[in-house]
Amino acid sequence: MRSLVRFALFAVAALGLGVLLVVGRLFPGTAVGEFAAVLDASYAASALRLSVPIAFAALGGIFAERSGVINIGLEGLLIVSAFTGVAVAHWLTGDGPVAVGAGVILLLLLALLLVIAGAALGLLGDDRSEIAVRGGGGLLATAVLAGLTVVLAGPTLAATWLAFYAAVLVSTGFALLFAVVTIEYRADQVIAGLAVWLIALGAAPFASNVIWGAVNSPGVDTLGTWTTPVLSELPVVGSVLFDAEPIVYFLLLATPLSWYTLAHTSFGYWVRASGENPKALDTAGVDVRRVRYAAVLLSGVFSGIGGAGLSLGRVGSFVGSGSTMIDGRGWIGITAMLFGNYNPFGAFGASLLFASLDALQFRLQQLDYAVPDSLMQTVPYVTVILVLALVGRTRTPDAAGEHYEADED
Amino acid sequence: MSPDWLPKPIEGVIDRLVDASAGERLLVSVAALVTAILLGGVVTLVAGVFAACESPAVGVFCYNPLAVYRYLFLAPLSDPFILQETLKNSALLLLTGLAVAVSFRAGLFNIGTQGQLVLGALAAALVAVRVGPAAPAGPVGGVLIAVTAMLAGSIVGGLYAAIPGALKAYADANEVITTIMLNFIASDVAFFLVSAYFQKPGSGSVETRDVPAAARFGPEIALVLAVALVLATTYLLWGTAFGYDLRTAGIQPEAADYAGVDAKRMIVTSMTLSGAIGGLGGAVWVLMSVGRWVNGVPALGFDGITVSVLASNNPLGVLFAGPLFGSMQAGSLSIDFQLGVPRQLVGVIRGLVILLVAMPEFFRTLGVRWNMGEGQ
Repeated sequence: MRSLVRFALFAVAALGLGVLLVVGRLFPGTAVGEFAAVLDASYAASALRLSVPIAFAALGGIFAERSGVINIGLEGLLIVSAFTGVAVAHWLTGDGPVAVGAGVILLLLLALLLVIAGAALGLLGDDRSEIAVRGGGGLLATAVLAGLTVVLAGPTLAATWLAFYAAVLVSTGFALLFAVVTIEYRADQVIAGLAVWLIALGAAPFASNVIWGAVNSPGVDTLGTWTTPVLSELPVVGSVLFDAEPIVYFLLLATPLSWYTLAHTSFGYWVRASGENPKALDTAGVDVRRVRYAAVLLSGVFSGIGGAGLSLGRVGSFVGSGSTMIDGRGWIGITAMLFGNYNPFGAFGASLLFASLDALQFRLQQLDYAVPDSLMQTVPYVTVILVLALVGRTRTPDAAGEHYEADED
Repeated sequence: MSPDWLPKPIEGVIDRLVDASAGERLLVSVAALVTAILLGGVVTLVAGVFAACESPAVGVFCYNPLAVYRYLFLAPLSDPFILQETLKNSALLLLTGLAVAVSFRAGLFNIGTQGQLVLGALAAALVAVRVGPAAPAGPVGGVLIAVTAMLAGSIVGGLYAAIPGALKAYADANEVITTIMLNFIASDVAFFLVSAYFQKPGSGSVETRDVPAAARFGPEIALVLAVALVLATTYLLWGTAFGYDLRTAGIQPEAADYAGVDAKRMIVTSMTLSGAIGGLGGAVWVLMSVGRWVNGVPALGFDGITVSVLASNNPLGVLFAGPLFGSMQAGSLSIDFQLGVPRQLVGVIRGLVILLVAMPEFFRTLGVRWNMGEGQ
């Protein structure tokens, strides 16, 4: 029944847009025509771009919640990474040329962190020799990442990319904090998630104020766009899919990858089992805690990409006033996750739906319709509520929100 | 546990206070608060490394945490302006903390107190401006306007909270998300309404006309009102059958249904009650603090979450947590002015408090390790 409603909603939305487009093209002089003229290729491109933070939050939420940990702190993770990205980029580039020394320090720090993380992973395992292997793996990963970045992006852009990595790491660090609190100390997941959000909501403007003396940051370079030659010349599709920001490509890659991981790998199987029947997973000899840690950390990685993708991808600054530049996108991401029924493709579709509404309200503002901006801004939020009212609570994983204690402890 | 001659509701309250689990929760709250303050000090110290300053407090550290906390907690004693702000904040946080506590007690996460407060405040301001000219002059008229405005604020706040309540009860929509969305919608809608219809003539910012001066009151009256409401709510929740139903319906809907209580209707009722208190908070903010509705309502609703969580959602605990955060909030102005430490620091501490209160297990582990308590 719920899935029927969900499908019907998708169909109606898609059909409605299609009809609008066709009617609008046929009668260009009318109001509908004017409206349809707004929905062009650049509209599609901006909808896709706006879906980035929402969809990445949703993908992260899927991994965490399917493993049994409800992470409603996603909004906070987006805020933290959006801020960190800009702050580090600002620190690296300053006002003048790239600060090479700062870049090297940051790179060494990243390497060190990855080595420690790898070694820690090895420590958790039974085989102590894994420590060295994984620690070395972390070092190698950093070297490869740094090399690739400099080769692909050039030295100037490399600084912005380095800032992007740092943002993802900090977001993952926050996710780790959340994981320790909920998995180790069995905190109420909803309250702890709320706390992560509120900490970020206070910390990002605080830090921004410390560094720049204002809650909003000055501008920094963005990650730019990646243009595929020839293909980008294609009509409509070319400008949308082959002349986009790197993070958009990441999203187009991450969605099927997440789906494949969840559905067809043993890690995905563990994650699902950990959320549905942790006892059985434990009996099968898999450490439920480690699976949940990994899933929550993944939600931090994804949210980090989404948040830094927003601030460094297009905007090029951090806005900390009011509810910050994230402005509820993490919460909308949670709704997209529910609407998409914990399926990465479904969540991506739902994110695109919300983002296209957001893009629409931007467009209509520019068209100077009679509807005031402040009311247009409510459209995505109202949609979220309508969607939740119609779809309601989806079938959450059985063990979501519950703590798991292995018996032998 | 308590003598027989005490009236039943009071007996219940006393039982709760001496209850072992209540005592443990109090201990957790105090420990969490202290830890959050310590962590906040570390944050301040580290942040000071990145700040630019002429004369560092110590070495590379621009901010001195001890000075920060001295201002944060003691400024009300030395600065009459900060004291006044503390009293105002305390009254407001008693109300928003109570609003959040009522919903949490009923097993509902009403994160929407902020939105309910924003719209309640707008309703109160508009009603006060409208009723103003019709009311008789003098204090009688003032009381009349104030009461009508507060009623309007509660009604609007209550109705606005009834929306997520109904969505939760009848459509199973997660109230955490709907209430947060309604927060965003409330501020956009209020901005639109004021800028389009109720704009104060000649004003550069988005605000309503001033409410009649006679209807305004000081923090003392607001505090009395808030404390009375806290006590009344405590009685309602633990002294009446209605309160019992309210508490069970959200936490154990099956049990409530079995006992003949319409759990769904009870969910809507508790959300409405919570929203009405939040809306009243908005009305008090208008009548006591600013004298009109202004865009950029402070985050009193979010602070209410901290107050309630710190009080383990116990209205009587709100009586302590509210003024505590009220003074910290006021003190944050003084750390900004006097020490140049951004006032958002209090926001960080707010989050840390919630995080730490949420993990009693952490303190239990510590307690066992240090041989405190029973050490199961």
